[in-house]
Amino acid sequence: MTAATVMLAACCVSLVGAVVVIPVCRNRLLAGQVNLAASVLAGLLAAGAGLSVLAGGPGEPLTLLTMPEYGSALRIHVDGLSAVFLLLIALISALAALYSLEYMEHYAEYSLLRYYPYFQLFVAGMYAIVVITDLMAGFFICWQLMTLASYALVRFEYRKVENIRAANRYLVAMQVACALILAGAAMLAQGPATVGGHKRMRFDFDAISHGMPDLLRHSGGLVTVALLCFLLGFGIKAGMWPFGQCWLPAAHPAAPSPISALLSGVMIKTGMYGLMRSFLWLVREDALAAFPSQAWRLAIAGLGTITLFVGTMQALRQEQSKRLLAFHSIGQMGYILLGLGACLALLPAGVRDEGVLGLAALAFYGSLFHAMNHGIFKSLLFLNAGSMLSAIGTQDLNRLGGLMRPMPTTAVTALIASLSISGVPLFNGFASKWSLYVAAILGSAHAPYLALCVVVAILTSTLTLASFLKFFGASFLSRRSAAVAERIASRGRLEVGRSMQAAQVTLAVGCLLFGLAPLFGYWVIQRALATSPQGLAILLARPPLIAATGLTGIAPPGGRALFVPLVVLVVFGATLLFAAAVSRLGGVHRRAAEPWLCGYALESEQNRYTAHNFYREVTRYFHWLGGTGPSPHRENGAGRSADAVAAGAGTNTADPRT
Amino acid sequence: MEASFGVRILHGVLNVALVLVLAPLFEGILRKVTARVQSRQGPPVWQPYFDLLKLLGKEDLETGESPGVQRLAAWLSLAAILSVSLLVPMGGASPLSPAGDAYLLIYMLTFCGITTMLAGLAAGSTYSVVGMSREMMAVMTLEPLLAVAVIIGVVRVGSLRLDEVLNGSPYAHAKLPLAGLIMLAVSVLALQAFIGRLPFDITEAETELMEGPLMEYSGPKLALFKFTRMAKVVVYGSLLVALFAPWGSGLPAPVNLLALLAKLLVLVLAVTLVAATHARYRIDQAIRYYLGLLGASFAALVLALAGY
Repeated sequence: MTAATVMLAACCVSLVGAVVVIPVCRNRLLAGQVNLAASVLAGLLAAGAGLSVLAGGPGEPLTLLTMPEYGSALRIHVDGLSAVFLLLIALISALAALYSLEYMEHYAEYSLLRYYPYFQLFVAGMYAIVVITDLMAGFFICWQLMTLASYALVRFEYRKVENIRAANRYLVAMQVACALILAGAAMLAQGPATVGGHKRMRFDFDAISHGMPDLLRHSGGLVTVALLCFLLGFGIKAGMWPFGQCWLPAAHPAAPSPISALLSGVMIKTGMYGLMRSFLWLVREDALAAFPSQAWRLAIAGLGTITLFVGTMQALRQEQSKRLLAFHSIGQMGYILLGLGACLALLPAGVRDEGVLGLAALAFYGSLFHAMNHGIFKSLLFLNAGSMLSAIGTQDLNRLGGLMRPMPTTAVTALIASLSISGVPLFNGFASKWSLYVAAILGSAHAPYLALCVVVAILTSTLTLASFLKFFGASFLSRRSAAVAERIASRGRLEVGRSMQAAQVTLAVGCLLFGLAPLFGYWVIQRALATSPQGLAILLARPPLIAATGLTGIAPPGGRALFVPLVVLVVFGATLLFAAAVSRLGGVHRRAAEPWLCGYALESEQNRYTAHNFYREVTRYFHWLGGTGPSPHRENGAGRSADAVAAGAGTNTADPRT
Repeated sequence: MEASFGVRILHGVLNVALVLVLAPLFEGILRKVTARVQSRQGPPVWQPYFDLLKLLGKEDLETGESPGVQRLAAWLSLAAILSVSLLVPMGGASPLSPAGDAYLLIYMLTFCGITTMLAGLAAGSTYSVVGMSREMMAVMTLEPLLAVAVIIGVVRVGSLRLDEVLNGSPYAHAKLPLAGLIMLAVSVLALQAFIGRLPFDITEAETELMEGPLMEYSGPKLALFKFTRMAKVVVYGSLLVALFAPWGSGLPAPVNLLALLAKLLVLVLAVTLVAATHARYRIDQAIRYYLGLLGASFAALVLALAGY
């Protein structure tokens, strides 16, 4: 059985699951279990297909349906790049299904008939879009399956008018993207071709790739326009500035949290998948002189830099948990785009110089690795936000606080995810950003603008850290808010159920695993490049695997940079033990006490420092970036008490409780 | 010129010991000189050692709702600054250079800041969180300055390895190292802020925020945080010396150490004089100042990329 057949089976399992789950939707638990079973089965099949391709190379493609009159054929082909995305989709979708089991209980007033069937269709659409090779009919079917199903999921809470609005925006954005991509494909398609002894239809990826060198020679302008269409179309999907801002921050918070995790962790990655395919896999090495021109490389790296800065700066001003995360998704996609841009910028010089080729490959490693890591930690963050939403019933960070004690598992996993997305060493975000930065800084000898991009990216990493200290601190640390205290009084226990905890813990382990052993991630990408030999990817697969130093250390060929996480872990652990020992030297005893609030202890809700107040002196310089807008989830009163604190803590004596 | 494993361990122990011993001494000098400038007698130079020892034996009050995080934050703060001291050369090679590069250094420096912020958040007092927010704003605008200085060095020498970067690299391979000189000026102007001294001690701001993130801490935890603050002078000082004034570090063993000490002493005196004669800035004034420095450092980076 080839990988393509297995993938067909995985898609079929999801589609069948969507049908089977319909009659049992009245029984909430059973529906969740059927959904979980289907997701796990499909996930196992997809992961199996992905792993077999990574290990043994792509098998025979599978052609389902040929439509010569339309120039299309539904051909399934799993290569290394697809395999990486398949693994990601399989992992996140299975965990999202596990999380949904208990999470969907708090939507008692909404029928699950609007949830589980679409969940399965959505997952099937995502599996299909990364393995289909046809860029017209096949692409259209998969894209619409993915889009329409997720549209239904975004408007799941249809009684809130802002969710319907968000869903409609999302739908329009995706249809525009679809039209752009199809138009791009139509411009590039030259006619049927025979590639490697096989006849390929007009719109098949292989046929288009085959015709590219001719097309570049004769009508370069047409290729430019087509690539622009691809960049815009896939860019809209990936949340690239300025298009991402149109739909992403509205759609992600509107969907139920497991769906937000899927949207942000996986679905927007299909946009990056499309960009990687169209800029690296479509063009052959012999056409490199004509493609892509210097302006293109500058444009992609520049767009990536703008996207990461703007998205993160806008995120810094958010007060709604899921909206904050959504803006960070835009920011993090910027890093991935920057990696792709750096890779393209270094490739032409890389053809002549093996060392530069190594850097180009390193940039691509960073880009794809960051896509994987972002999938893991951002889904985890959305699940964390979902746990808080289901426990406290609000997305408003101003009304949260002191959840560390009542929700320890959620708190610790959220801390791990926050440190990962901020790129703190020993967590997975650091490993991928490291390779991206190393490639760009060392590559600036050939493309000087990359060094500027890196400085902006490093600055943005600090902004990300600031934003997540706010996210984590305002919700889990700080002081217990009135809303939290009220919930504890009425429900007793706040921590989410076992299955939700299990989903969060699994993802947190993933963050640590890739952080401590980044070599494992590099190996996956190395295999992915080696098992998808087409276009410029052949070039990228050529330099040796990032040299391993020490146990799980990584270093680019030539050893001009290095990172050995295990040694850093040991040294840091030793200093931590030393610090703990020093603090015990005096043998003092600890005593719990009340914090000192200048005698205004009774007004604790009024003088809590809420999320609204963080970093105002910096963010006010960036009001022109926009992004706040009238927040649909903003509850009355939160802003007022926060302003009282801003005016001077403890001065509000009008409170009746004093 | 790879040093052996044993030599690296020795250097590492030496660095940690240097930080542990020097930090309170410099603090003592700082206090004494400040007092003299302000026509006071001032405490003896050894006073900070006694302060720390005394704090280690004082009762430990925990006011936050998550005391575990408070404890962890205190340990992390010392662990982070000591780990950074292992990445910075102090009179020898950087001991941990086979495990990480310049980018790890940039991130570990940021991590030093996180620990105080975590402490402020966990303490749960409004003042602590105000202080934390201020600290983060300072980190946001200051950290890129160091990053730019390091990246200019990296671009010049074409390598991220610490032993090559932390060796006067911003001046390397340029006839007139304009970018390096600009970054030297920027770093000197920002040093006061890096180590959180007047006029930039906005995070702690005793007179308005009552020590900010640290106001709820006492006993051994306060000792660890106070020590970390003192240690920043040594670590950041050594880092600037290594980046911009590494002369003498190649000399045989005791001489290079003495050279470093002399340079650090000059830095401490300069910091003290500024601190003793300036009043604290408001947070918005400080941010504007930092943003100005950030602009200058961007200009320096562009110059460096153009080969100056």
